[in-house]
Amino acid sequence: MATAALCGSRQSPEGLLGDSSPQEDEDCDPEDGDSDWGSYSSASSDYDDLEPEWLDSVQKNGELFYLELSEGEEESLLPEPPVVNHVRFSENEIIIEEDDYREGKKYEPKLKRFTKILKSKRLLPKRHNKKNSKDSGPVSILKHQSHQKTGVLVQQRYKDVSVCVNPKKLTVTKAKEQLKLLEVLVGVIHQTKWSWRRAGKQAGGERLVVHGLLPGGPAMKSGQVFIGDVLVAVNDVDVTSENIERVLSCIPGPMQVKLTFENAYAVKKEAAQPTQKKVQLNTEGDLVKLLWGEEVGGSEQKVLHTPHVVLYLTLELDSETSKEEQEILYHYPASDASQKLKSVRGIFLTLCDMLESVTGTRVTSSSLLLNGKQINVAYWKESDKLLLIGLPAEEVPLPQLRNMIEDVAQTLKFMYGSLDRAFCQAENAPRVDHFFELFFQRALLPARPHGGASPGAQQYEAASAVLLDGLPGVRWLPLPQEIKVELDTALSDLEAADFAELSEDYHDMRRLYTILGSSLFYKGYLTCSHLPKDDLIDVAVYCRHYGLLPLAAKQRVGQLVIWREVFPRCHCRPPTDSDPDAFQEPEGRYFLLIVGWRHFMSCVLLEAGGCASTAVGNPGPDCVYVDQVKTALHQLQAVDCRINEQLESSPSPCLSCADWFLAGSHEKLDCLTTSPILSKLQGSSKVATSPPCRRTLFGDYSLKTRKPSPSRSSGGPDDGGEGGEGGGPSPHTTPDTERKQREADGSEESGALLKVIKKKSALLNPFHVGNLKKDLSEKELEIYNAMKLTSGPENTLFHYVALETVQGIFITPTHEDVARLGGSVHPELIKNFHRCCLSIRAVFQQTLMEEKKKAGSVADHSDSTDSASAPNPVKEHGVLFECSPENWADQKKAPPVVAYWVVGRLFLCPKVQELYVCFHDSVTEIAIEMAFKLFFGLTL
Amino acid sequence: MGEEGTEGTVHLLCLAASSGVPLFCRSSRGGAPARQQVGPWRSGSPKLEGLPFSVIGSLNGVHMFGQNLEVQLSSARTEDTTVVWKSFHDSITLIVLSSEAGTSELRLERLLQMVFGAMVLLVGLEELTNISNIERLKKELREALSGFAEAAGTNFASLVVSGRVVVATESWWRLGTPEAVLLPWLVGSLPPQAARDYPVYLPHGSPTVPHRLLTLTLLPGLELCLVCGPRPPLSQLDPQLLERWWQPMLDPLRACLPLGPRALPAGFPLHTDILGLLLLHLELKRCLFTVEPSGDKDPSPEQRRCVLRSFYTLVTAVHFPPEPGQQEDKAEDAAQQPQVPKACYLVSGTEEPGTGWRLVALQSGPRRLLLLLSAQSPVHGLRGLATRTLHALTPLL
Repeated sequence: MATAALCGSRQSPEGLLGDSSPQEDEDCDPEDGDSDWGSYSSASSDYDDLEPEWLDSVQKNGELFYLELSEGEEESLLPEPPVVNHVRFSENEIIIEEDDYREGKKYEPKLKRFTKILKSKRLLPKRHNKKNSKDSGPVSILKHQSHQKTGVLVQQRYKDVSVCVNPKKLTVTKAKEQLKLLEVLVGVIHQTKWSWRRAGKQAGGERLVVHGLLPGGPAMKSGQVFIGDVLVAVNDVDVTSENIERVLSCIPGPMQVKLTFENAYAVKKEAAQPTQKKVQLNTEGDLVKLLWGEEVGGSEQKVLHTPHVVLYLTLELDSETSKEEQEILYHYPASDASQKLKSVRGIFLTLCDMLESVTGTRVTSSSLLLNGKQINVAYWKESDKLLLIGLPAEEVPLPQLRNMIEDVAQTLKFMYGSLDRAFCQAENAPRVDHFFELFFQRALLPARPHGGASPGAQQYEAASAVLLDGLPGVRWLPLPQEIKVELDTALSDLEAADFAELSEDYHDMRRLYTILGSSLFYKGYLTCSHLPKDDLIDVAVYCRHYGLLPLAAKQRVGQLVIWREVFPRCHCRPPTDSDPDAFQEPEGRYFLLIVGWRHFMSCVLLEAGGCASTAVGNPGPDCVYVDQVKTALHQLQAVDCRINEQLESSPSPCLSCADWFLAGSHEKLDCLTTSPILSKLQGSSKVATSPPCRRTLFGDYSLKTRKPSPSRSSGGPDDGGEGGEGGGPSPHTTPDTERKQREADGSEESGALLKVIKKKSALLNPFHVGNLKKDLSEKELEIYNAMKLTSGPENTLFHYVALETVQGIFITPTHEDVARLGGSVHPELIKNFHRCCLSIRAVFQQTLMEEKKKAGSVADHSDSTDSASAPNPVKEHGVLFECSPENWADQKKAPPVVAYWVVGRLFLCPKVQELYVCFHDSVTEIAIEMAFKLFFGLTL
Repeated sequence: MGEEGTEGTVHLLCLAASSGVPLFCRSSRGGAPARQQVGPWRSGSPKLEGLPFSVIGSLNGVHMFGQNLEVQLSSARTEDTTVVWKSFHDSITLIVLSSEAGTSELRLERLLQMVFGAMVLLVGLEELTNISNIERLKKELREALSGFAEAAGTNFASLVVSGRVVVATESWWRLGTPEAVLLPWLVGSLPPQAARDYPVYLPHGSPTVPHRLLTLTLLPGLELCLVCGPRPPLSQLDPQLLERWWQPMLDPLRACLPLGPRALPAGFPLHTDILGLLLLHLELKRCLFTVEPSGDKDPSPEQRRCVLRSFYTLVTAVHFPPEPGQQEDKAEDAAQQPQVPKACYLVSGTEEPGTGWRLVALQSGPRRLLLLLSAQSPVHGLRGLATRTLHALTPLL
């Protein structure tokens, strides 16, 4: 096996790309010289012969949403007998390719059908043609050729290959080993799937996928057997892994054998088609399940019974046709709970109409009480249509709901051009249903899909979504210069589109699309973007909505290809006649191409028209562009681990865990008896939660009288007795080696323990700042300050969010950062932080709106700005909280309390920036200073 | 928030819930209340300043429509206006439309509660729940509320009382929230008289049986109020009480007068940055309020009051747990809230130093202090200043 030349098995080292990879790879870099394509030598090198597996998922209208999890992920995701193996979903349907080996009986009828089809093989191309005639296939640069080649494009599903086998030749030494005959006799290498073997399922057997070809074997010699093909019959006898050995062993002597193979590409299609109809009926929750995992089951009920609704109503009623419910253009979902909200739509229509005429401003929201539950309804009015979203106030606070409806309207416009087109065109209905299913899942399900591994990260995701999903920005991961340059270069190369097939010279014709810009996400974080801000946000909101960002973070994506026409707001704006000299966007059409591979995801915005040729009809994804993006991603593989490293240990301001600041009597003992490794640089972000670090911070004077444990001998006087004034010199000198080691490997222990000591020695009074600093050499101090956002000796920063609206990005601690901190109080704090920030931000948004209004009025009547009405915009808002651990058992003592600030700061000039920080109450912080530190060097 | 907020309009509508007949309607524009009669049934009325009848009808209609379908419409917002609906005892529906800056649902809800309280105070609950003769009720309300709605329409609950309670007996303090707030308002809104004998219903304590509110003007601007049953008659009270009890107290009473708007004893040390102050005692349900702690005039007291009021509603609606006894259902949320807000500040103004103002709120035990400070006050010192001020004020309340 190992000696076999696994031709074409250019799989990723982990073999994650699955069965389909050989073909895909062939597609994406055919001119790559680094692999041996010997087995393909006889095959045509034309694209059309080697269609990518997503090709068949392209919709009539050219859209594509193809997702394939990497094999490793599938198995880890579903350790049980797999339910979902390959999931591809176009927007209105999710196709689950069930593994055939799962249930034997399913397999049997299919095989029978196969045989039937085999007999009437000639019919197949016709069917394929019919489908293609609507579709006209994917547009390629070789436009004229694509039609010409339709015949070739139609790949035969089955092929018969005659090979000569000679059983006499073999020495049957390892007869007991599985599938040996197949290998030695025919020269086909088939590996039994691990999962299958593990499960020990034998019934029905596994499909005989060709994983490799034995060099010099009959199969290879024939030149017609390719990796990925499936052996379905030998001399018209159906075979599976179960009976292949038996069948082959029946061959008495040297003879010609007819092997029937199913083409690799056809396998996919065939597997998909039978299930398609069934799945279409119950698409509900498939993507949801994929994203949210299996735990959705229980909460599905909850979602069903929570009143929630989206309505799209028309305000202009045709009085002549008094049809029931004629004003409802769209309604979702059809559950009982939402029925009630639908029935009172008269309220919404009346309010919208009346209040606007009375107040002259548009209605934004209203609140209802339904079964004692408060429901907020947000309004979005466009021309004479009204979009409404109703959600319970408990789950979704009003400010969040307002952001959400804006997001929805924006995303739908981005996807369909206008709300009318989205809701009123019948063919879009299932897609929009799917859209809102996802939307409500996101809104109502507390557990968000993310990070999979740690519940901490998941919790964080759920808590932060309240605020972060509404921010007009994309979560950004700052990277060191050299990585950034590398990413920038990769994207620039792609965008230049002046090489290979992308260049106009290659085919000597006008190119199909101009690449307007692209952006690169890693694990859901934006790492690099060459898109204008508005486009970037449009794209990011789209990705967020379809859960693509968390998906890439959670699991490595085998292959993700999304293609659709989009209507970016800054390009599709109607031209303003006021200034004829102003730049006019070309009247083009825009397409979004998203390609995901492993943790990377690249979003590319393409323009047809303008300087590229005009798009006709509904062009599907072009292989050339998909492949180039894919190639670009593959090239970035080298940076993968470096980015990941960055993600794991982000150098951005380090955080503290709230639990460390809690004073708990039993924990005090702990911290005194543990053996600390001393270090002054406590600011490490790598501090982890270990029991000893949950100790008292300030003013716990009982500590002073305790004897330190003898093990704390690494230098320094016994400060247990003398610390009363907090003025004793810091007794600790850090061995350089130790510090370096900690810096290098992020040894959590030392970081945490060091705090214990330092606090005891120097921080009896938080305002006695001097002690620690005195002892630090200047250089040390520099490092120390660079990593710390807060002032004062202690790192008191718990959390932060910094929004930069010009570039449309924000930074906030990564999931890894937060998960590392752990703690019991801390997650609550984070949750509260985000909720509070949402309220603070609502105040800021009000301010921004008033500022805008003012700016508008100033422009109109520049003379009438009297100072008396000069408003005072809110620029800073802070709230102090106190929290204590839940379930405090000790009745005698009051629970320990940690006090922290949540402060929001709004900057109006020179550019709009928002900063939200959460820090311990011990040190007075000045928000502007923190903002300066955070925003410094924050450029894409 | 942080706006002057005087250029808003407030419309207050009162309708009979069952029939939808408007009982009264009040509007205020730009802070100046405008009284007008509603609807086309009153012939010869000038062009209505307020809402057209069709709008009133629709406003009530949507609420009723929802109620029939067991959906209670409670509020709606446009970009600058907030509307709140509230029905009382299934017989009276109050609707308020406010476009004042910094209005919140909470504030309007309380306003409606007070308005209903005022209605009960004046005509009694029974009259309101069993509406037999709408026209009569309308007339009564119109008369009774003529002056009252102005105070109610523009002022917020406990914050702005034209008359301050200087001293009171224990039993006076035991009055329920609505009447405790409303009685001083009532006294302030009635035309000045030497003595009054005014029938009142107590919205909380005795909504059906009327009591008598007796007032005696002791000094100009200083009135004595009594709530009592059928006895004693005013004529008896007047000479006896005045001479016997209040004659000896004349000097201290005179000393009370200049306290007036400052509401603090002369010489009480207060930081010069403080432009306005509101101290609430949540258990005693009393408050101390001033926007004129010192003589300076800029910004105007109205502006200060407005800013402080907006801040109060912001912190009460958004951050702090609601005051006990205000809303039963909301109190539960507060109890299980593990993260207790203790303080809160807000800085407004442009990036230039010295513009705008600062606001700080501090909660300590049953006391809640809100301060309006000038722009000179450093942001990081806000909490310290508030803590010291609260400490100094503690003996007073």
